[in-house]
Amino acid sequence: MVDKKRFNTEIKSQWCPGCGNFGILESMKDALAARDIPPEKILIISGIGQAAKTPHFMTCNMFHSLHGRALPLATGAKLANQDLNILVNSGDGDCYGEGGNHFMHCIRRNLDMTLLVHNNQIYGLTKGQASPTSAYGMVTTMQTGGVISDPFNGPMVALALGAGFVARGFSGNPDHLSHLIQEAMAYKGFSLIDIMQPCVSFNKVNTNDWYKKRVYELEEPVPDTLDNAIPLALEWGDKIPIGILYRRETTDFTSRIPFLEQGSLVSRAYNTSAVQDILDAV
Amino acid sequence: MTMDMTLKIGGEAGQGIQTVGSLLASACRNAGYYLMAINDFESRIRGGHSFFQMRISDRPVFAPHSVVDLLVALNPETYDLHKDELSDDALVIIDTELTTPDSTLVSVRFNEIAKKVGKSIYSNTVAAAACLSLLGAPVESLETILKKQFQNKSKEVLEKNLEAAQLGYKAVEETSFKHRPLAEVSDPKGALVEGSKAMALGAAAADCRLAAFYPMSPATSILSHLNGLSGKLPLLVEQAEDEIAAINMVIGASFAGVRAMTATSGGGFCLMTEGLGLAAITETPIVIIDAQRPGPATGLPTRTAQGDLDFVIHASQDDFPRFVFAPGSLEQAFNLTVRAFSLAEKYQVPVILLADQYLLDSLHVLETPFKAQKTIERCIAMDNDMDNPADYLRFKLTDSGISPRALPCSGDALVVVSSDEHTEDGHITEEIGPRTVMVDKRNAKLPAMLDEMEPPDHYHSEARILLVGWGSTAGSINEAARILRDRGLDTGCIVFTDLWPFPADSVTKLLEGEDRSIWMVEQNQTAQLGGIIRKQTGIAWTHSFLKYDGRPVYPQEIVDAVESREEITNG
Repeated sequence: MVDKKRFNTEIKSQWCPGCGNFGILESMKDALAARDIPPEKILIISGIGQAAKTPHFMTCNMFHSLHGRALPLATGAKLANQDLNILVNSGDGDCYGEGGNHFMHCIRRNLDMTLLVHNNQIYGLTKGQASPTSAYGMVTTMQTGGVISDPFNGPMVALALGAGFVARGFSGNPDHLSHLIQEAMAYKGFSLIDIMQPCVSFNKVNTNDWYKKRVYELEEPVPDTLDNAIPLALEWGDKIPIGILYRRETTDFTSRIPFLEQGSLVSRAYNTSAVQDILDAV
Repeated sequence: MTMDMTLKIGGEAGQGIQTVGSLLASACRNAGYYLMAINDFESRIRGGHSFFQMRISDRPVFAPHSVVDLLVALNPETYDLHKDELSDDALVIIDTELTTPDSTLVSVRFNEIAKKVGKSIYSNTVAAAACLSLLGAPVESLETILKKQFQNKSKEVLEKNLEAAQLGYKAVEETSFKHRPLAEVSDPKGALVEGSKAMALGAAAADCRLAAFYPMSPATSILSHLNGLSGKLPLLVEQAEDEIAAINMVIGASFAGVRAMTATSGGGFCLMTEGLGLAAITETPIVIIDAQRPGPATGLPTRTAQGDLDFVIHASQDDFPRFVFAPGSLEQAFNLTVRAFSLAEKYQVPVILLADQYLLDSLHVLETPFKAQKTIERCIAMDNDMDNPADYLRFKLTDSGISPRALPCSGDALVVVSSDEHTEDGHITEEIGPRTVMVDKRNAKLPAMLDEMEPPDHYHSEARILLVGWGSTAGSINEAARILRDRGLDTGCIVFTDLWPFPADSVTKLLEGEDRSIWMVEQNQTAQLGGIIRKQTGIAWTHSFLKYDGRPVYPQEIVDAVESREEITNG
């Protein structure tokens, strides 16, 4: 097993003390170590936001990209090299707002990678506006009269689009979250973990204590039917389930392309005669 | 005597005009002629008006001709729309009940003849065979030509078409046309290739491995050609959910180590400008083809334009280096695409190729076959190129501004990249010093990039009158300059392929001089290249021929414009 300390870095985090991102970062390091993936064999791709800064605060290969665009960027990387281990760090605004279209179509493609949505139900980096997952009626620095739209339910959308692995985690339960990340990475196909986390600076409703009172860990077996999964994805209120909401076997995108069996695009040697044959066929 | 004639076939979308066009183009090419054909169509699947126009010559031709010698009107509207383009001794064959004593207008009932065979869908074959007959093709050749055209169709389809063809051929037996090129056959001069195919083959020859795109006219045909090569080469073509996803996929793929590209039109490029900046600040090589069409917004979807030059040179925030090229021929479309990929990786910058509907949809005879590269120079750093991979810095400061580029997960070197301003290690910085240093580092590539730029192609650049343009109008500008010289006007031309970084020194040398007429020939309303030349060299253009109606520039239009303003001083 890889020593978890290898993921540590001297770079100081830019997060507020008590931020849920610390728990998620720890769970990521723990899961990678447990899966025996060293820093040089992991590629972490992120969008923009407090969540998207995560890979800067650990030792890894990383691409901190644009707001909302982590998934298409990760898609391109995975198409070029299907052997890459890819984790994506995104937030509720980054993934479900700016990147909503990419989120939907990335699920349809079913590339073998894991998406972690740090869902604190608020915009942190831009100082406290409502996010797509903010509760109806929530008062924010911008929505001073309360949010007047209904919240976006990422796991439900993922289930509706046919995702094969959908989970919900909690930053305040890092051991459980590490386990979820390990399971998600072991899954052959696209996996989503929607991670509830507090925002200590801007979300005064969904605090660490608020979550702690409500979350409960799902027991085995993991649901493999939508009938069983949907009620869990919708359960939100006095009790909120964490764990794998749904898992079924699927064929991932690059496995659906026969010629990629000969190796990833990046691994194939340039073949001048194959190119000349095509030019001669004109 | 030189044979140089133009044939035009017009009708509604859905009447199979492009099929007739490709059949006649193949027949002329196979008979050993040069040709240049344009397709003109509306943004619709049925109805409206479309035409195929082909110039056939025994000498190389690089521009369309504005005077039509043979007009095939599949409906009366075609004649009404194009009668002013006819040469004095033109022949028109038209599907109409009206007959006139005028022998130049010959009624051929394409549709009724087709119905005799079975269905009106054969009317395009009737028209094609009538053309073959008028152009002097022997009746025996019909079978060979049709077999080739319908090689993938059933025996019944071929037989019905052959029957239709024989009737069409017979229908004009009594009619004679002044040119009979197909009566004399020589060896083919080369393959028939459209601009879109030349660019796709250029990408394949450059070892492009991922092309991500969102469908948009007139760029889509490039991706269709590439898609046909997927699997034969390690090349994947992915249709993205939008242009934003497309360019980010390209950046992701390039970051992971393969050459990657996208193609779009101006509207799609608008959505890609965010990604263009990402490629710039992360120094990720990418190639973007902007297949120009008139805009803004939806504009004229199926027409041609050169209105995006200013846009692509300035697109995205702040200053960063990029290359911009515009091909003006099949050879340039291929070679510039190959060069784009190579320069993108050498300098780790975005490269934009400006094509347009006219260039991409036009058919030409390719005389010199395309050649594959022996090797591909990738400019990628592996662990064994480094003293200590653990100390690898993706954005290491160098005199050239170019840092060794390693690939993620390819060794012990960790690759850290951020769209935030960053230090040499790729991590975020907001400090004053490193920010300035990094902007300077990226722009430090410019002198060497400028050295890569070729001066514009020129013909009689010493002349008093200079026609100046860029990209796809090259053929028309060159032909116009030759015609004007023949008529006694001291004329030359300068046509750019390499546009940015702007080769100011070589352009200044070509343009300087007293009392010169500098004519900007462009397909935009403001002479965008003229503006760049003025800003970069201080030399102002004096006249312009600007056409932005979405239709290609014809040599004669340039000639007429110049002659209306210039006096013959040396002839």
